Amino acid sequence: MKSRDVFSYSFSAIKLRKLRAGLTTLGVVIGIAAIVALLSITQGLQDTITRQLQTGFATDTLIVSAGGGFSLGVQGEASSGFKLFVNDTQTINKIENVTMSMAIIQKVGYVQFGGKNRTVTIVGVDFAEYANIYSSTFVAESGDISLNPENNTVVVGKRVSDPWKNETLFCNVNDNVTVVWTNASARPPINVTYLGHVSAVLEEVGGFGIGPSDYAIYIPISKAESFFGTNECSMIIVKLKNDDSATIDSVSKAIKEAFSNEASVTSATAVLNILSSVFSVITLFLGGIAAISLLVAGIGIMNIMIVSLMERTREIGILKALGMKSRTVLVIFLGESAIIGLLGAVIGIGSGWVLANIVAMVFRGGGVFAGENQAATGARADGMSITPVLTPTVFLGALAFGVGVSVVFALYPAWRASKLKPVEALRYE
Amino acid sequence: MVAIVEAANLKKTYLLGKIPVNALRGVNLKVESGDFLAILGPSGSGKSTLLNLIGALDKPTEGKMLIEGVDVSTLNDNQLADLRRRIGFVFQFFNLIPRFTARENVELSMSIADMSRAERRKHADDLLETVGLKERMNHKPAELSGGEQQRVAIARALANNPRFLLMDEPTGNIDSKTASEIVGLIKSLNEDKDVTIMMVTHDQRLALQAKRTVQMVDGVITKEIVN
Repeated sequence: MKSRDVFSYSFSAIKLRKLRAGLTTLGVVIGIAAIVALLSITQGLQDTITRQLQTGFATDTLIVSAGGGFSLGVQGEASSGFKLFVNDTQTINKIENVTMSMAIIQKVGYVQFGGKNRTVTIVGVDFAEYANIYSSTFVAESGDISLNPENNTVVVGKRVSDPWKNETLFCNVNDNVTVVWTNASARPPINVTYLGHVSAVLEEVGGFGIGPSDYAIYIPISKAESFFGTNECSMIIVKLKNDDSATIDSVSKAIKEAFSNEASVTSATAVLNILSSVFSVITLFLGGIAAISLLVAGIGIMNIMIVSLMERTREIGILKALGMKSRTVLVIFLGESAIIGLLGAVIGIGSGWVLANIVAMVFRGGGVFAGENQAATGARADGMSITPVLTPTVFLGALAFGVGVSVVFALYPAWRASKLKPVEALRYE
Repeated sequence: MVAIVEAANLKKTYLLGKIPVNALRGVNLKVESGDFLAILGPSGSGKSTLLNLIGALDKPTEGKMLIEGVDVSTLNDNQLADLRRRIGFVFQFFNLIPRFTARENVELSMSIADMSRAERRKHADDLLETVGLKERMNHKPAELSGGEQQRVAIARALANNPRFLLMDEPTGNIDSKTASEIVGLIKSLNEDKDVTIMMVTHDQRLALQAKRTVQMVDGVITKEIVN
């Protein structure tokens, strides 16, 4: 039998049971749509985060913290009691291949202005050094970042100035805001405050990174030391001569040795690598979950093909009596499920893509109020804009997977159909 | 004349549940080209089993079944399928594919035999004209009477220019008036188109139209009459 005739025969059998074929196809559609939606959203999320980290991070920097590992902006408490101090930069600066290093003191506090409060991260930095390291993100949108700031100078992140993203400003350049920090280690805890002068609002950074944040305010490091009453720093950022992995490794090692292996050193590249491996696990996991639904669809196909085999036993007998080869019977049955699989995969990829975009849209829309709430509670995550990405690998993979699963699950019924004996099949009622 | 079908000491045993049934107990038969043979016998006498063996739908348990000199027992699955394409089978219950029109049913056997689309369309139309169903060729089996369905089945059986036609109670499931029309058609196929026919029947009247009749009882041929 010519392949075109085989195909049209398979197709005529599907057409006969439109509802049944439709529901079976729906199973494949759901499975494939779930895979495509999850994978393209994950891919989009990974791309967004990687991009934001690359802007937030400078690849030629290392971050030294007091141990307990480095976790995005949160201060690790060293179990051994090891502390990092502002003047430790002098030790680090002596290490070969280090261009410069700078200390950062950061605490969570409030900014008060016009009778309102906003939770912010108060970050004490040397403005000149910070601007040098994060030259693309520590940039003023309005006002000026003085490289030689007054003691009361405050630079605020975009979302501190414009928390609702609607030009209703919380505070602006030249406002005098009250900076509040609760010293919880004092007994009883006390609020310490001072009046700061907003000299600049930063450009929007977006998302999160290690560098400047939209939800932070920046004060001179010397002011931070006196305000917080400590010269213990949260982290030291080290700028290297280059971002070769050999340089990163040797400097990391040297820094650890300098602090008797108690400091933890993190490179931006390492964080990106960890992130990408985390994402491959997530992708695999989500893909696996989605694949289960396709497996269910596959069992549905097998079920329906076995029913079809029962119903059409006599038909198969007729075909064989007319001289059809067993192989052709096999191909007809596999063809039927391949058509269902292909149709389901194509529709599934389309609807998965639509689904991914809807989810991304909801995410973006939700980000507006989520952002507001989160800012109020001091969380850092912004409503990130995710653009789902459908890679050719995912597209072709989903297509092949849909057809593949359909065909594999049809193998058994098709094989049974092909093995039917003509005499017995013809006698079948 | 050359024997196109030759059975020698043909035996067939099959299992009905767990009980072995000796359907054929040594049949000897020779059919030559152009013959019109009727196989008569009560039910259970092995007529249909014999017809299935001649039609290469089944293999004998013992003995030889030669079709055009080839022993069916020696053929594999694919070779049997090829052989069946050269045999026209007409069943008591028509066995048309319900979702196909009359024309498509006739075309089906040609498409199985790899005939091109244009060629088989023309041939199907000619065949349906021969069996007198040209006007109804776009109807599906459910829209056709028993007699019409059997004509479609005969047209289908003739589609690949078979060496011979096998008919299993071709009039068993249609009314007597239509049956005599079908008998007329079968007879004219044999006389005018020189088609070799082997036919199983209960119908004494139909058997009389054949050139030769064999009587079967309990899996053996007991009597042979030349009409």
